Amino acid sequence: MRGYGLRALQAQVRAGPMLFLLAVLGVALGVAAVLSIQILNQNALGAFAGSVEAVSGGAALSVVGSGPELPEQILPRVLAERGVQAAVPLYRIDVALPPALPDRREGTLEVVGTDVFAPARSAWRLSPADLGAPLRTPGWVAVSPSLASEMGWKLGDGFEVSSGSRRVRLTVGALIDFQRTSPLASRRLAVMDLAQVQALLGAPGRLQQIDVFVRADAQVAELTGRLQDRLGPGFRLVTPEQRSAEAGGLLAAFRLNLTALSLVSLLVGVFLVYASVQAALLRRREELGVRRSLGATRRPVLTVILEEASLLGVLGTSLGIPLGILAARANAGSVSGTLRNLYLLEAIERIELSPWLVALAAGAGLAGAAAGALLPALDVSRQDPRALLAGHALQESARRRAGRLAVAGWGLLVGVSLAALTVWRGRPASGFAVAAAVLAAVALSSGWLLQAAGRHWKPRRLSLAYGARALASRPQTAAVAVGALATATSMLAAITIMVGSFRETVEVWLGQTLRADVYVTTPSWRQARSEARLSPEVMELLARQPGVRVVDRQRQFFGYSKERRISIAGFDARLPEAGTRVALMAGDPSRAPEALLRGAVLVSEPLARKAHLRVGDALPIDTPAGEASFPVAGVYHDYGGDSGGVLMDLEVLAVRFGPDQPNNAALYLAAGVDAEATVDRLRAALSGHALVIRSNQRLRQQALEIFDQTFAVTRLLQGMALLIALSGVTLALLVLARDRAAELALHRALGATRGQVFGMFLGQGLTMALDGIVLGAAGGVGLALALVFLVNRDTFGWTIDLHWPLWTLLGEAAAILAAATLAGVYPALRASRSPALELSRDAL
Amino acid sequence: MQASPKPLSDPREVAREADPRHSFPSMDSILTFRNVSKAYPTAGSAPREVLRDVSAEVGGGRAVAVVGRSGSGKSTLLHLAAGIDQPSAGEVELLGRSLGGLSDRERTLARRESVGLVFQFFHLLPQLPVIENVLLPAVIAGDRRALAEQRALALLERVELGGRADDLAEKLSGGEMQRVAICRALLRRPRLLLADEPTGNLDEQSGERVMELLLRLARDEGSALVYVTHSRELAARADETWRLHDGRLELA
Repeated sequence: MRGYGLRALQAQVRAGPMLFLLAVLGVALGVAAVLSIQILNQNALGAFAGSVEAVSGGAALSVVGSGPELPEQILPRVLAERGVQAAVPLYRIDVALPPALPDRREGTLEVVGTDVFAPARSAWRLSPADLGAPLRTPGWVAVSPSLASEMGWKLGDGFEVSSGSRRVRLTVGALIDFQRTSPLASRRLAVMDLAQVQALLGAPGRLQQIDVFVRADAQVAELTGRLQDRLGPGFRLVTPEQRSAEAGGLLAAFRLNLTALSLVSLLVGVFLVYASVQAALLRRREELGVRRSLGATRRPVLTVILEEASLLGVLGTSLGIPLGILAARANAGSVSGTLRNLYLLEAIERIELSPWLVALAAGAGLAGAAAGALLPALDVSRQDPRALLAGHALQESARRRAGRLAVAGWGLLVGVSLAALTVWRGRPASGFAVAAAVLAAVALSSGWLLQAAGRHWKPRRLSLAYGARALASRPQTAAVAVGALATATSMLAAITIMVGSFRETVEVWLGQTLRADVYVTTPSWRQARSEARLSPEVMELLARQPGVRVVDRQRQFFGYSKERRISIAGFDARLPEAGTRVALMAGDPSRAPEALLRGAVLVSEPLARKAHLRVGDALPIDTPAGEASFPVAGVYHDYGGDSGGVLMDLEVLAVRFGPDQPNNAALYLAAGVDAEATVDRLRAALSGHALVIRSNQRLRQQALEIFDQTFAVTRLLQGMALLIALSGVTLALLVLARDRAAELALHRALGATRGQVFGMFLGQGLTMALDGIVLGAAGGVGLALALVFLVNRDTFGWTIDLHWPLWTLLGEAAAILAAATLAGVYPALRASRSPALELSRDAL
Repeated sequence: MQASPKPLSDPREVAREADPRHSFPSMDSILTFRNVSKAYPTAGSAPREVLRDVSAEVGGGRAVAVVGRSGSGKSTLLHLAAGIDQPSAGEVELLGRSLGGLSDRERTLARRESVGLVFQFFHLLPQLPVIENVLLPAVIAGDRRALAEQRALALLERVELGGRADDLAEKLSGGEMQRVAICRALLRRPRLLLADEPTGNLDEQSGERVMELLLRLARDEGSALVYVTHSRELAARADETWRLHDGRLELA
């Protein structure tokens, strides 16, 4: 049977190499889209934990604080607990690194401070000659050889970093390949002695976590309970699995969205397999009809078709896997940017490919090919021999079925939409269900639209209308291609509408919330957050600058509310400007500052939605003194991330979580003082400190640049889906050119010139594109509504105001038309060369 | 060569021309074969010669039957006459103009303007209505639809299919399909009508009727008719018969 499958495949390749290649390409691009996103998702999670694992070697348990840090005095208490074999204190901090070359962007160094003599189970060790150097040499740091090579560092070289507003000089003390220990460790990982990190970069006497190694004879669960009792409230004990789950939860919405988009690409690829298998079956209908007439049952026919599809799937998957790896490598940078911006995660610097991901991609490719083949195979195997022998009977049944399919698709959409608005309301899955139903309705309507568009034409010449009518009479393959194009166009239009709406919303939000004239932060703020401190000296200098009327301070760190990781930020609620600092969507803006001063909090929309919070509710938050309850005074729009956060008064924050330096400052200038001139003046006055000083306008601009970067991967997925869909147009026209060879020959015999046949085929490509765009526009609007009002609201917790970027959408439609026309050139050329002599006894 | 489309004149003219009482046979030469040979390349051996040194002429309004055994070159002769294929040697002249020196486009336009084709297997577009099938040559030529439609309906009336103009072609019987194909071939008043075994796929009674119609309409329209047939009876109805034997033409 295998031999037969191979022979059949060879025959298929010989009969139409381009058709076959396009079907393989469809599977390959679909597999590549899925695999690349899964690789990036997987590696994004890996980057989260990789570096700490490289340093402490995989402890069974970690102790972390309820606030931003924890005091190092608890270390002896941890070590004293029975069952603890070793405890490794860690201080992890991101510091800013000047660019290696003048034209490069500023980088970061992920510094982990540890007790280099602690009996950690890490695979790396300092050479005996180096022992002692980490303590003796000020600023001693071990870096990876690859980073040293990139930066041009040698052992003993000094370089400058900045932590918050502090500038610190470090010295390359050792070169250690941390990625050998933990493959997902950042290449930009640097290890220092704990005391030096605390003194030079962080806060003396403070730790970020203590990694605990458990004795072989101790039970982790039991030890966790005992340690929690010993340490009391204000400390959390987490296992690596809990940390992974937390990181997974943090990224869940982001990963789900990308996965859903990549599956659309695979779906469009499945359409191509469908079209290709259908074309092959139609070509062989007579043979199949004869077989059935001579007594062959349906099953062997089905088996042979599925075998061929499997081989197609194997080829597509084999090509798709390397393509997916390449796509993942090419897009690691933009995904890293999103992870850094939205989730403060480490950059993905090395792509690891796990065997199960390859298996997943192979499974997706094979299943996609089988699914694409199964429907036409079942359809043909169900036909009676008479219908198989008379080709037009198959077309007739396809024409009859088209209306029923459209009704089923739209019925499904109405049903799912009603469910999403009623019984599934608020469930994150409901948005995706509606989105899937929109795509199903769009794809299932393609045959009906082709017929409706062509049915009533009475063309006067071989024109677009003639092409439309010809397509209407043979809807089978064209409908699949139009379905694929409509699906990809829906996705393109929906994301354009969603991103356009989101951008408008964010611009309005920035306008509402960025009220200060000048913003001061530090180069390491974007990654380090609470550890990026503005020194008291800087704060004082800022307040003394001429023209500065008010200095608002801000602190931020990550804490927990009932196991939910949230951002906790504080600002000065006593300032008159406090009332306009956030855009409240619930609560009284005039009373909010007063409530904050009394200990209330404002919660961000994502948190309010996910934790079902309303004004007047109480929000429990873990503090160093244990869980405390904070009344909710308002809900504010927040598009800076989807994990949720709270805002409180700075003094309340200091009381609850301990005092610390602010991380950012916002300056309100006196009337008539020029912001840009003040920025220049501040930069000159504070040049000795590591600071990022921007005017309001510049900050808004940069926020929007970050926004645009966030959707770079989405654009890639849109592009891949469109590429597959346009291949579908070429494939469908090639199928038409071949299946209609006799009809074309008739046209030529009756006096149609080659140019006319060429134009007619281009017209058919254009008709398919127009039908795809019409359906795609309808689907795009439906999908955009689902994304804006269901997916973004229920999954990310963001309210987005709908905007219609009409010009962009029109531009995209024009580009699709142009691309579809180009996609039709080759088949049109092939068709125009069809000689009149091709007229055979085959039915037209 | 850019042949100007033959205008379909006003409705009165359409009616007059569709009327079987009007016929304008002409004795001018419509189709001429001069020492025409045709050989097809074969894999690994000498080319297969299908036609050898054929010379013949068809005058306006004349009907010629081409007979011969299967594979004797009958269909090839028709293909050469229509400019669908080109001779290996010799010359084919259509309306006094050699097809040999013309480009593909020029030959196509010459065929469009002067030749009507009827095939053994009808070659209708099954998913289109009858009227649209008849109108196909006018659509290809870009003729004015209203006039073309009048002419098509008039022709369908003459073949007794006026009531089925809106039916799908796939719903017709074989004989009906061939009658529609004849209407299609005559729509643009070709000077030369070529029919390749027009009754070959029909039963005897339907074949008789179709041949009758074809001869009558060709005569009425003033078109020269060259048809291929295996039937002695049908061949006997022609003004002259060409017999092809081993690629050579014998005038009967």
